[in-house]
Parts: sequence; C-alpha cells; structure tokens
Amino acid sequence: MPTSTPINIDFYIILATLLFVIGAFGVMIRRNMIVLLMCIELMLNAVNLLMVAFSSYYNNADAQIFVFFIIVVAAAEATVGLSILILAYRQLRSIDISIFNKLKG
Amino acid sequence: MDAVVVIFVTGLISLFLGMYHKPMLALTSNLLGLSTAFTLFFLYGTYNSVLKSHFFSLVYDGSGVLLSLLSIVMTALVLIMGYNSQSKDRSNYADLTSLMMFSLTGALCLIGFRDFFMFFIGLEILSIPVYVLVGSRRGNQASAEAALKYFFTGSFATAILLFGIALVFGATGSFNINEIGFAILSGLYTPELMIPGALMILAALLFKVGAFPFHFWTADVYEGSSKPVLAYMSTTVKIAGLFALVQLMGLIFGNLKGNWEMVLYVVIIVTLFLGYLSAIQQKSMKRLLAYSGISNTGIALLSIMSGADHGSRNIVIFLLAYGASALVLLVVAQFAQDEENDLEELKGIGYRYPFLGIALLIALLSLSGIPPFSGFFGKLLLIQDVLVNHPVLSICAVLSSVIGAYVYIKLLLHFFHKESTLKDVRLNVASIIVITVASLLLIGGWLILYI
Repeated sequence: MPTSTPINIDFYIILATLLFVIGAFGVMIRRNMIVLLMCIELMLNAVNLLMVAFSSYYNNADAQIFVFFIIVVAAAEATVGLSILILAYRQLRSIDISIFNKLKG
Repeated sequence: MDAVVVIFVTGLISLFLGMYHKPMLALTSNLLGLSTAFTLFFLYGTYNSVLKSHFFSLVYDGSGVLLSLLSIVMTALVLIMGYNSQSKDRSNYADLTSLMMFSLTGALCLIGFRDFFMFFIGLEILSIPVYVLVGSRRGNQASAEAALKYFFTGSFATAILLFGIALVFGATGSFNINEIGFAILSGLYTPELMIPGALMILAALLFKVGAFPFHFWTADVYEGSSKPVLAYMSTTVKIAGLFALVQLMGLIFGNLKGNWEMVLYVVIIVTLFLGYLSAIQQKSMKRLLAYSGISNTGIALLSIMSGADHGSRNIVIFLLAYGASALVLLVVAQFAQDEENDLEELKGIGYRYPFLGIALLIALLSLSGIPPFSGFFGKLLLIQDVLVNHPVLSICAVLSSVIGAYVYIKLLLHFFHKESTLKDVRLNVASIIVITVASLLLIGGWLILYI
C-alpha cells in the first residue's frame, strides 16, 4: 500500500514566493493594462496558495477562511479595475500604460 | 459596531435615493446617518449593544474613539463641501455620497481592528470606493488617468500586504494581534518568515499613506481627482491609514523594533524634507496639498518611533489640524475656475473677502505650526515624544517645519496680495458652514487634550 508522505512546507513557500515574484515583476515591466491586472491576480493567488499551505501545516482553518475573503475582495477589485480601464479606454483609445503622461510635475 | 452598521445602511439608503435625483434629500439623509453614528460613538462603552463589537474583533480605545468621531465629522464636512460643486451634475451626487459612506465604514473598521481579518477587510473597503471616487469626474482625461494609477498602485500594495500577512501567519499560526504580539514577546515564532512579513506589511501601509519611497502616486492622483474627493482623501483616508499603521507597529511589531527601526528612520527623514521641497514651486492647490501632505505624513509617522503609550492623543490632534486646514484650503480653491493654475487666479482673495482671509490665516498659520492653533500643539507633542530617544529625528522634524512655514507663509502673502485679477466670488451657505466648522476645530481642537 503506497503511503504518501506530506510535502515539506518549504516547497510551498518557495513556489508561492516564485509565483508572487513573477507577478510583481510583471506589474513592473509589462505595459499592457490587461496583463497588469492578470499579474496582480497572480500575486493574490500566490498568497492564497501560501495561506492554504500554512493552514494545513498548522492544522488551523483560519487561513482557509482568509482565502475566501481574499477571493471575494479580488473579485471586487477586478470589477472596479476593469470598469476604470473601460473608462480610460473610452477617452484614450488605448490600453498601453505608457500613454499616461497627462499628469506630471 | 452599531455605528459602523448605521453608516453602512446610510450608504445603502443613499444609493437608492439616487433614483430621485434630489441632492438635498441625499445630503439630509447622509447627515442624519452620520449624526446618529456620531452619537453612538460618543456613547461608546456606556450602553449595552446587541452587536458586541469584540465578536467582530473591533475594539476602540480612547484615541480610537476620538479618531472615529473625527473621521465622521470630516466626512460630514466633505459631503457638505461637495454639495455645491457636485450637485451641478445633479444626477450623481447621491452615488458619490454613498461611496463615501461605504469608504467611511472601512475607515472605522480599520481604526478599531484587532485581527488581520478586520484589518484587511477594513483597508479594502476603505480603498475600493476611493478608486471609483477618483475617477468620478466624467469625461475628464486626467481623472481617468488618476483613477487608473491609483488603482494599480493600490492593488499592488494590497498584494504585498497580503503576502506579508500570510508570512506572519506562517511565523506564528495566528491572525489575532494579541496572540501574534504574545508569540513575538515569548520568542515562539519563525524569524525567517516573520521579519520579511513585517517589512512587507510596513511597506504596503507606507504605500497607502503615501510616504517615501512610495509617494510618487500622490501628486498625480490628487491632481486628477475632484476637490471634495481630494478633501476626503486627505482627511478620512489619511486618518485611518496612519492610525492603523501606528497601531500595527505599536501593538504587534513593537518588540521587533530592532528590525524595522532603521528603515523607518530613513523613511521618515526623507519623507519630512521631500514633500516641502517639492511643494515650493507648485502652481496648483491640489499638487501643493499633495506634497505638503507627504511632509505632514512624515511628522505623523514620528508617533510610531516615540514608543510611548500608543493610546496617546497627540496624533489625534495632529491629524485633526491637518485635515481641517486642508479642508479650508480646498473650499477656498473651489472658487477658482481654472483647475490647472488656480493659485494664480486666487491671488488676493483673502484681502478682498475678509471672511475667507481670516479662515486662510488660521489654516495656514496652523499648518506652519504657529501657536495657539491645533497644528502647533499636534506638532509640538509629536516632536516632544521622540526628543529623548531620537534627537536627530526631532531636529529633522523642526527643520522641515521651517521649510514648511516658508511654503505656507508665501502662500499666505499670495492670498493677501493687494493687486488681484480675482473674478467675483459668490460665497454660498455650504462653504461658509465648512469653513466655520474647520476654523473652530483649528482654534479649539487641541482642547481634547483635557477631555
């Protein structure tokens, strides 16, 4: 009978950190605003993964409930973000972030 | 907790009142809700509530209650101030007020938080309506751009904050701030997770309050938003964000001081000078307020370093004075037609209209820290707290106040210039109310020291 040994928590931390860094890096270098939204979503999901991993590590369901909160807030944030994006697109006819140069000084 | 529910329900009601397109109705119902919430907060702890707030991990100590009262008053003033400018476009005043109510709900959650659930939810409820409010000037390109910038920087900060919270949970196994504080005190935590986590949470909050090195969004966002929204951001949002930061560093990470003290030291010193040095050459009231807001944030951050009793009322007085001065300046700036270059247009307004002149005098003297106004007492007490432990910081704070005084006195002379190209200004009831209340707060606000 195959026995499964639990995966070490370190691997989860490394994986989540990697995903988070990829997302953060994407926010900094990408110019397309839709991709920016996706990168932020990736960062939030890295956090979710980390939370769930710690939750099972400590045998404590609090972090899993926190993940629900994060999912709900991320949905609300994406709604607002996409609406603002559409608002901006109507006026600027582009979703490239580098056209934003009206505000300066 | 009752007050928080009352404000939330008021927001919902005014969302529905939006159907009738009657700004006066929306304003009245909101002010009614706000005064109910004010009364409930005033009586906080003296009556038995059905909704026990510690079930929801909301606990308001002395300065928490004062700051909640303050943010309710400030929001009421912002609503009155916005009544004139926003009701020109009669269709959406009620929507904007309801967004402000929802945001205020978040601010109150953030002021009284006792675990990371309430902290995170409060911060998000505070920020998300403000993203919408910033973009609420329809058909204005600057507004759309500001909203996008604010949204992206804000949600990036949220992601960093969440990663920090996850790491702190990983280090201690709890979200409750008392348990985390106890774990740190007794050494029962994983330092490899705890210290990056604490630093990430600190960075995210510095982002939200607009301190160096995360200050770059403030000037652009402030410039793009309408004046009432800007007033809301520099009062309620700032109050809640700064107080949450002070509580967090004091209650939870206070015993990890060695790890973040140097970082914060540098942050505060640069923040103190950066704001005023950039404010000197600004041509518009919005940008000037944005940069002077950065330096004022620096002074408010001193209360983290003091390590004194964190229920202290010093930060309350300081935030009260800053918010009230910003309100006066913004109400006066509303009289200008030209958005980009309004300071030139307002030249001599204080000389022509003595009522506005006196209010401007009080606001600017209070901002520059001249007695006997609230701003002086706020600054004095905050600087006094750090004088013994961090003399360098207090010297820097005083020096930056001197630069600030130069900026504000120059502005004051500009307002009292005899020659002016000022067009006729029509004082309206709303702005008179706001200016009077804000000036009274500036004159007598420091009396809360003796409550």
